[in-house]
Amino acid sequence: MLRVDGLCVSYGDAVALTDVTLAVGDGELLAVIGPNGAGKTTLVNALARLLPIRGGSIRLMGEDVGRLSPRDLAERGVALIPEGRRLFAGMSVEENLEMGCYRKSVRRSREEGLRRVYEIFPILAQRRRQIAGTLSGGQQQMVAIARALMARPKLLLIDEPSLGLAPIIINEVFETIARIHAGGVSILLIEQNASRALEIAQRACVLDCGRLVASGAPAQLQADGEIVAAYLGH
Amino acid sequence: MSATLFGQSVLSGLFSGCLYGLLGLGLTLSWRFLRIINLAHFGLIFLAAYLTYHFVQSRGVSPLLAGAGLVPLFFGLGVAQQWLFIRFRVSELPSVIVTFGLTIIIEALIQWIWSADFVRLETHLVRGSLKIGSLLAPWDELIMGGFAVASCVAVWAYLNFTWAGKALRASLDDPDIAAAFGVPNRRLALVVSGAAAAFAAMGGVFVALLYTLTPSQIYSWLGVVIAVVLLGGLGRPLGVLAAGLLVGVAEAVTMALVEPAWAPIAPFSLLIAVLVLWPERI
Amino acid sequence: MAAGGASIATTLAAKYSTLLWLAAALVLFAALPLAHPPLFFESFLYLIFFWIALATSWAILSGFTGYVSFGHGAFYGVGMYAMADLGPRLPLPVALLAGGALAALLGICIGAVVFRVRRLRGELFALLTLALAIVLATIVLNTPIDGGPGVFLSDVRPPKIYSNASSTIYLAGASVAIASLAVAWLIQRSKFGRGLFAISDDEDVAEILGVPTFASKLAAIAISSFIAGVIGAVHAVFVSYVTVGETFSISVPLFVLMMSVLGGARRWWGPAIGAILVTTLSYSFVSGDFALAARALIGLTLVLASLFLPEGVAGLVEKARRAWRPTAASQAPAAEPRIAALRPDPARLDTKTPALLEARNVRLAFRGVQALDGVDLIIRQGEILGLVGPNGSGKSTLINVLSGLYKADSGQVILEGRDLSLTPGHLRARLGVARTFQIPRPFARQSVLDNAMIPAMFGASALDSAAARKGAMEALRFVGLAERADAMPAMLNLHQRKFLELARALASDAKLIMLDEVLAGLTPREIADAVDMVRRIHARGATILFVEHNMRAVLELTDRLIVMNRGRLIADGPPHDVVRDPAVVAAYLGAPHAEG
Repeated sequence: MLRVDGLCVSYGDAVALTDVTLAVGDGELLAVIGPNGAGKTTLVNALARLLPIRGGSIRLMGEDVGRLSPRDLAERGVALIPEGRRLFAGMSVEENLEMGCYRKSVRRSREEGLRRVYEIFPILAQRRRQIAGTLSGGQQQMVAIARALMARPKLLLIDEPSLGLAPIIINEVFETIARIHAGGVSILLIEQNASRALEIAQRACVLDCGRLVASGAPAQLQADGEIVAAYLGH
Repeated sequence: MSATLFGQSVLSGLFSGCLYGLLGLGLTLSWRFLRIINLAHFGLIFLAAYLTYHFVQSRGVSPLLAGAGLVPLFFGLGVAQQWLFIRFRVSELPSVIVTFGLTIIIEALIQWIWSADFVRLETHLVRGSLKIGSLLAPWDELIMGGFAVASCVAVWAYLNFTWAGKALRASLDDPDIAAAFGVPNRRLALVVSGAAAAFAAMGGVFVALLYTLTPSQIYSWLGVVIAVVLLGGLGRPLGVLAAGLLVGVAEAVTMALVEPAWAPIAPFSLLIAVLVLWPERI
Repeated sequence: MAAGGASIATTLAAKYSTLLWLAAALVLFAALPLAHPPLFFESFLYLIFFWIALATSWAILSGFTGYVSFGHGAFYGVGMYAMADLGPRLPLPVALLAGGALAALLGICIGAVVFRVRRLRGELFALLTLALAIVLATIVLNTPIDGGPGVFLSDVRPPKIYSNASSTIYLAGASVAIASLAVAWLIQRSKFGRGLFAISDDEDVAEILGVPTFASKLAAIAISSFIAGVIGAVHAVFVSYVTVGETFSISVPLFVLMMSVLGGARRWWGPAIGAILVTTLSYSFVSGDFALAARALIGLTLVLASLFLPEGVAGLVEKARRAWRPTAASQAPAAEPRIAALRPDPARLDTKTPALLEARNVRLAFRGVQALDGVDLIIRQGEILGLVGPNGSGKSTLINVLSGLYKADSGQVILEGRDLSLTPGHLRARLGVARTFQIPRPFARQSVLDNAMIPAMFGASALDSAAARKGAMEALRFVGLAERADAMPAMLNLHQRKFLELARALASDAKLIMLDEVLAGLTPREIADAVDMVRRIHARGATILFVEHNMRAVLELTDRLIVMNRGRLIADGPPHDVVRDPAVVAAYLGAPHAEG
C-alpha cells in the first residue's frame, strides 16, 4: 500500500528526518512510536504532502507521490487525522464531516457516509449542528476520525490520537481505530503512548531523532530490553 | 416635521443603506476570506460607474447591458489582482497601502479620461416612482435595493449551502487541512477576489444611475462603506446589509432632524463605539 | 584641567554630533532670507519643511511603534484651527504652542481609551483613527469653530524678523522641521525609543520583558500630535485661509504615510527623505496635465514601494550597511566548565524555605473551556520546580497568567508576599519574573544584541544603555551566542533562538525564570547543552520553573515535581515519587515508569 524509502525532510537548515524507510501493507496497521521531538509528526506531514521532502521517495500503491500536492494525494484515497484534531472550528459537526468527502469522487456518497458515521458515533448525530470548536477534546477526536472516514480512505494517517485526552476517552479512541482497521483500511498510526499503540498494531517502528532505530512485530520490540528501557517506559 | 417627511427620509435612508450593503459586500468578502483590506474596491466601483456613464450616455447602450459587460471584465480584474497579491505575499497592513496606491492611480486615470467635472447619467432603468401610501419610492432605487438584497442573500446561501461555500469557510479555518481533504485553496481565493470585483462593478453601475459623479467622490464613500463593513462583521453578507440599512437610516434621520452636514457623524460614531466597546465582534 | 575639559567636550560633541549638524543646518536655512532669494524658492523650501515636520511627527507614533494611524490629519487640523481661533488674540509663539498643546491633548485622550484595548491594533487602529478624524472634521464644520465658510487669518500678523513678513513663517517652518528631526533622533537612540521598537515587533513580549507599553504608546502619541499641532498652526498662517475641506482632506494622512513608507518609517531621517522626494516630484509637474501624471506616479510609487521596498529607502541603506560592515569583533566565548550532575539534596529544600511565588486558587476560562481550574502552587526560593502534564492541561496558560500576559478570572498570584493581581506584566518583569516562550518570539527586526538589551534595560536591573549593553553581552556569552550578537534572529536556527530566549531571561537579572518547554524540538546533543545551561543559570541564584515533556531531563534537573491535568494539580512532591503515583501514571505517563 505505502512504501517509504530513504525519506529526508528538513525545516530550513534543521534536519528533521534522515533516511527513513518503512512500509504499510494492504490492510495492515503500522505503529510508529518514539519520544517527543523524534520527528513523528514531521513524518506524517511529509506523507500527507503538507511538507516538502528533501530526499527519498514515497510510493502509494506503486505510484510515486512524493511531489504531489495534498489535494492530489487526497484524490488517491489517503485521509489524514491530524495531531490536535484540527477541525474547522467555526463550522458545525455535520459540515466538518461533509468536508471529509469534499473530493469529487466521493461527494455523491455524502448521505450514505453520514449514515455510516452516525452509526459508529451516535453522539455526533445528536450534536450534528453544534459548532465544532465548542466540543470537548474527546468529542473533537471523534469528529476528526469520522471526517477522515467520510473520505472513504484506502490509507489512514493518524497522528497522535491520544494527545491531551483523558485515559477513559483514550480507550474509546483506540477501540474505534481497531474497529476501523478490522474493516480493511490500512493505517499508519503515530503515537507517543507506545504501549497502547503496540496493543493494536500488527507491526511497529521506533523513530528517534529523525531516524528509524528499530522495527518489527510488537512482541519482538517488547522483548528487546534496551528498547523497552529507552522508549517503552517513556 | 411631518410624518410623511420623516417617513420619506427613512425610506431614502433604507435605499442608501441597500447601496452601502451592495458596495460593502465585495469588500467584506475579500477582507475576511482573503485577509486583505482592498481599498482599490472603491477605485473599481468608480471606474465601473464612469464606464457605465460613458457607454450609456455616449453610446446609448442600456445600463443593464453595460452592467452585463462590466461584471465579467471586472471579475477578471479581481482575479488578476489576487494573483499578484499571492505572488508578492501581501499581508493585511501592506495591502492597505498597496490598494490605496492603486486607487490613486485609478482616480488619476478617471480624471484624465473624463475630467474632474461633475457628470450625471441622464438615463433611467425605469422612470418614475412607486407610490407606497404617502411615500414615493423611485423605481431605479427599488431595483437597486432588490439587487442589493438579492446579492447579499445569494452570497449568504452560497457560503452556507454549497460545496464551494463550505470549502471556502474551511479554507479560512485551517487551509492546510482543508487542502488535505481536497480543497483548492488558491483557486477559491482567486474566485473570491473576482467575485468581489464583480460586485464592485454592479455597485458602480448603480452609483452611476443614482448619483452625480466626480473623481474625488471615491473618498467620501470609502469611510462610510468601511464603517458599514466593520459594523456588519467581516465576511457576513447579511450583516453588511443590515449594517448598511442601519447606517443609511441613521444618516438620513440625522440629516432630516439636524443639518445635512452632520450626516457623517452617525456612521462614524457608531463605528467608534463598536470598535471601542465590542472589539471582539470584528 | 583645560585638556580634561576639552576632552569631555569632544566626547559630547561626537555623541551628539547629529544634533550639532542639525543646529548648523537651521542656522544656514535661517540665514537664507537675508540673501533675498526669489519668493517662490522660500515657499518651496517652506513646503518641504512643512512635510518633513508632519511626516516625521507621524513616524514617531506610527513608524516607531507600528500603530499605523490614518488620523494624523486630526492633530494637524486641531493646530490649524487653534491658530485660526487664537492667532489674533495671542502672540505668535504662544499660539503655536497652544496649537501643539491642544493637539497633544486630543492625542492623549484618544490613546488613553484606545491603547488599552488589545484587539485595536494593526488595521483596526488605522481605521479607528480615520473615523475619528472624520468625526472631528464634521464637528468643526458644523460648529462655530468654522461653521462652513472657512476662517480667514488676516488678523494674524507674524512678527517681522526679516524684511518680508512671510519669511518669519518660513523660519517657523524650518525650526519646527529641524526640531522634529532632533526629537526623532533623540527618541530613536534612547531607551524609550528601544521600547517603542520592541512594541512594534511584538507588544506582548515587550510588556513582559518590562517595557511599560501603555505609557510608552501614550508618550509617543502625545509627542507626535504635539508636533503635528504646532506645524498645523504654522501652516494656518502660511495659507491664511483655513477650510474644513482642505484641512481634513484625506490627502494629508495619506501623503504623510506615503512619505514615511518611501523613506523608511523606522529611522529618524526616513520620512524627511520621503518628504523631500515627494514634494520635489510634485512640484516638478506644475502645469495642469502633468499634475494628473504626478498623482498617478505617486500612486504607482506607493504600490511599488510597499511591494518591493517594505522598509523604504532606509531599509536599502541598512542592507547596504550590513553588507559592507565587517562582522563586529566579539571575544570568543570563554569555555564554561560543565557543571557535574549534582543530585539535588532534598533535605536542603523543605517546607521551611520561603516561598518566592505562590498561586492560590487561580481560575481562568477561555470560550467555555476551563483552562485553569483552581490551581494552588508554591515555588520556593532557589529550587528547580518541574511541571509536567499532558498537552492541554494548562501548563502554558499557567505561565501566561503568572507572567502577566493573561489575567486570571479569580484567585491570587503572590510574589514574595506581594499580591500581583493588579500588577501589569511590565511591572512583574521589574520585580524579577521572567519567562521563555515554547516557540521562540524574538524581536524580528532587531539584532540579537538589541534583543538581549531590552530586558537588561527594562527588567529587574533597569540599566542605562551602556551598562545594559555590557549586561546583554554577558548574557549572550553565557549562552554561547556572543559571536552572533549582530545577527538578525531570522538567521539563527531553532536551538540558537531558544538560547536567545534564555539570554533574554538572564539579561533581565530575574529572580524567577519560567522555562516553557525549552527542550522541545532539540536533538539529544542540544538537549544536553540546554540542561547544562539551566543548571548553570540555577547556580547563579535564579529560581526555576521547568515545564517539560522530556521526563529524563525532568528527573535529572528538578528538586520537586508537580503534575497538571485538566487545569489543576494532581501531584506534588519529589520527582521519583511523583512518577510512580498511580494518578499520574493514569493521566499522563501511561505505563509504570522505569526504575531509575
